[in-house]
Amino acid sequence: MRTLLLIVISILLLPLVVRPAIASEIWIFAIFGLALNLLLGYTGMLSFGQSTFFGSAAYVAGWLLKHYGINVFAALGVGVGVGALSALLVGYLCVQRSGLYFIMLTFALNQLFYFIAYQWTSVTGGEDGMPGIPRPSVLGLSIQESYWYYAFISLLFLLSLWAMKRIVESPLGKILQAIRENEVRAEAVGYDVPRFKLLAFVIAGAFSGLAGVLYAMLFGIVPLEAIGFVVSGNVVFATLIGGSGSLYGPIIGSFVFIWLSESVSTMWARWPLLLGVAFVIVVLFLRGGVVEAWTRFWTWRSSKQTG
Amino acid sequence: MALLETDGLTKSFGALTAVNGVSLRIEAGKLHSIIGPNGAGKTTLFNLLTGTFPPTSGTIVFDGKDITGTPAARIAHLGLARSYQRTTVFPAFSLLDNVWVAAFATSRPWKGLLFKNAHEYPQVVERARAALSDVGLLSKAEVPAKQISHGELRQLELAIALAAAPRVLLLDEPAAGLSPDETRKMVALVRALKGRYTIVLIEHKIDIIMSVSDRISVMHFGSLIAEGTPEEIQRNPEVRRAYLGGVAA
Amino acid sequence: MNLLLGQILNGIATGMLYALMGLGLSLITGVLNIPNFAHGALFAVGAYLLVSVVGVLGNFWLGLIVAPIGVALLGLVIEWAGVRRLYAAGHDYQLLFTFGLALILNELIIVIWGPVGISHLPPALLRGGVDLGFTFYPKYRLFVMGMAGALVVLTWLFLEKTKYGAIMRAGIENKEMVSLLGIDIQMLFTVAFALGAYLAGIAGALTAPIRGLSPGMGVDMLGIAFVVVALGGLGNLLGAIAAGLLIGVAQAVVAAYWTEASTAVIFAVMAAVLLVRPQGLFGIR
Repeated sequence: MRTLLLIVISILLLPLVVRPAIASEIWIFAIFGLALNLLLGYTGMLSFGQSTFFGSAAYVAGWLLKHYGINVFAALGVGVGVGALSALLVGYLCVQRSGLYFIMLTFALNQLFYFIAYQWTSVTGGEDGMPGIPRPSVLGLSIQESYWYYAFISLLFLLSLWAMKRIVESPLGKILQAIRENEVRAEAVGYDVPRFKLLAFVIAGAFSGLAGVLYAMLFGIVPLEAIGFVVSGNVVFATLIGGSGSLYGPIIGSFVFIWLSESVSTMWARWPLLLGVAFVIVVLFLRGGVVEAWTRFWTWRSSKQTG
Repeated sequence: MALLETDGLTKSFGALTAVNGVSLRIEAGKLHSIIGPNGAGKTTLFNLLTGTFPPTSGTIVFDGKDITGTPAARIAHLGLARSYQRTTVFPAFSLLDNVWVAAFATSRPWKGLLFKNAHEYPQVVERARAALSDVGLLSKAEVPAKQISHGELRQLELAIALAAAPRVLLLDEPAAGLSPDETRKMVALVRALKGRYTIVLIEHKIDIIMSVSDRISVMHFGSLIAEGTPEEIQRNPEVRRAYLGGVAA
Repeated sequence: MNLLLGQILNGIATGMLYALMGLGLSLITGVLNIPNFAHGALFAVGAYLLVSVVGVLGNFWLGLIVAPIGVALLGLVIEWAGVRRLYAAGHDYQLLFTFGLALILNELIIVIWGPVGISHLPPALLRGGVDLGFTFYPKYRLFVMGMAGALVVLTWLFLEKTKYGAIMRAGIENKEMVSLLGIDIQMLFTVAFALGAYLAGIAGALTAPIRGLSPGMGVDMLGIAFVVVALGGLGNLLGAIAAGLLIGVAQAVVAAYWTEASTAVIFAVMAAVLLVRPQGLFGIR
């Protein structure tokens, strides 16, 4: 309950601190992070191809919005559907292998989708991206104005968070965690492990797809990068710095990551260099993520006060 | 009538035949032990019975149905549950969650897989708590598995198998690595389960085997070399030569 | 028909380079049990180093010797300064580390050599072509085929016929056993990483005169190396060659008829194979 209050307060205060576009991006990326964390944190599957579903959803929904003027709910539905469907295809090939093979396969299939988007210029615009994506009204209310769109995104984020909380606290969530803890035993006590992994993959794909459509409508364009490996890496990074051990970790990760990259990318064109350095530093010195570093800090502080 | 029966069960890994033409009849309600030196193929036999991998040849019949080649996840639903020689639990879970996972798998109130919290299934929680209580770990229900002792882990190992409410319980050296004191507790536990379940027990410690078993099968280099009551096995000259040696003499 | 045969030859040449990449990655990933996302970047560094060495020393052959050694040294440093500290960490952190390195190397390439692609001519000796009867074929590509083939054979000899190679294979299969044998496993890891990096570096150096250089070449090759390992199996030499040739030839043949799809086809072929054989070409887990 306190966490929820904290999140609502952050939603209200955030636009006062940063531009609404960045504030919106933070919550979109948080949805994306929730999706990845269902795989990474809860099921123990490291997907390095999550932008496949984010990008595919953005392209398909963006295209329908642009050429057929579908309404906003249809766009969201298409995004969720495309995300889930592409995850079903990719996941079917990946879940049969585990460990390092799984990671490599998610990346390789990400590349497949990337190169399709790159070459299919008549639809995707290739390197130039797919511009001109409209932002239709919601039940007659315009969300053109950036603060209204921010409110819309915030609502969808809260909805996603609620849904994800239900999933991880449900028996399904428990089963996925059991698979993370001990695949062999989970199979032996009676769960068809590959099928549950696929289910997790599809659910994560659906959430990623939702994030993808919101992203397309936020900037009015689907850049080629949206389906590229850097985005896949970024969401892994954001989730890990937030801490994959908790439901809320990716939200914190999204804050840190979007804020960092937005402030650095405007300073220097070669900012991915700094991003790479940040990855290395986090891995070598800050393993466990912000949440854990924070807890460590507090235990350290309280031990000093009592001691 | 035999509840679990194998006929000519064989498993080869390349040139190595780990289980060779094993025909076994496990009577309902009995405690049937399988003994044999290390590498005799006992654990491989368990892996075959529980569908970890399919046999090279031979059949497995459970309750009149041929279950040869049924994958592990399905076997659990048929009513065969196993424990492992090398403890294999869910380390980050509380003890209750460890057994809950096994209880849920076989109770399957699939409706509401998403809509209720994991602990809002009274029958499943009840069954999970009963399994913990059977092994004497109920007081530690909320403790994470990674924080308990080795002896307690062995008890939990057993509880996970019990939580599936099986008809046949396959126990792979439940007393592995236990101190004499802990071993006594484990033997008492197995004895308490006797009669409630059909039990197949792999064990090294001869005194345990002789005191709890109804029947004993002896494995040697993948094959069965003898079968009988504890008294018969103790008298069997071939068994004494191959396995018991001076131990039981 | 002649066009097709020529393309198949091209496919074999690039396929051998893919096999080299997969082989190097397979050594690193198999022995150290880490996902190496910097493998593509090492390939790119190999290519750029070749260009610089040739620029300074004016000799392609020296470049072909020096550049891969430079990449192997870079591999040593990476293993020593970073990877070594991450063996106990999860794959997630290992991945993030090597991915971070890939970003850094990629950006450094842009900073040092510029964002625009560079073309690089083969050495004078290997310019022009030879008449193969059915087609007039570039000498340099034949050289690459031979060179990559020789390297694969050398690696095979090392792994199969030397004692240290046998230990390395054992390290892929069963690390516990290797430590039990009293072998310095840390040393084994370092050597495997450097050797894998060397193979990536020389693949990059050999590629430079065929495809030219661009900062994005590393990432493209990373995905391809993953495909080779996913299809061929970790530590499987024959698997790497088969997978490399399969996707190399598929790519070259498709390129002749449908240029746009020539990169996507690599991954599509992988997906198709996995659909039929989920455990890869030789069914290794």
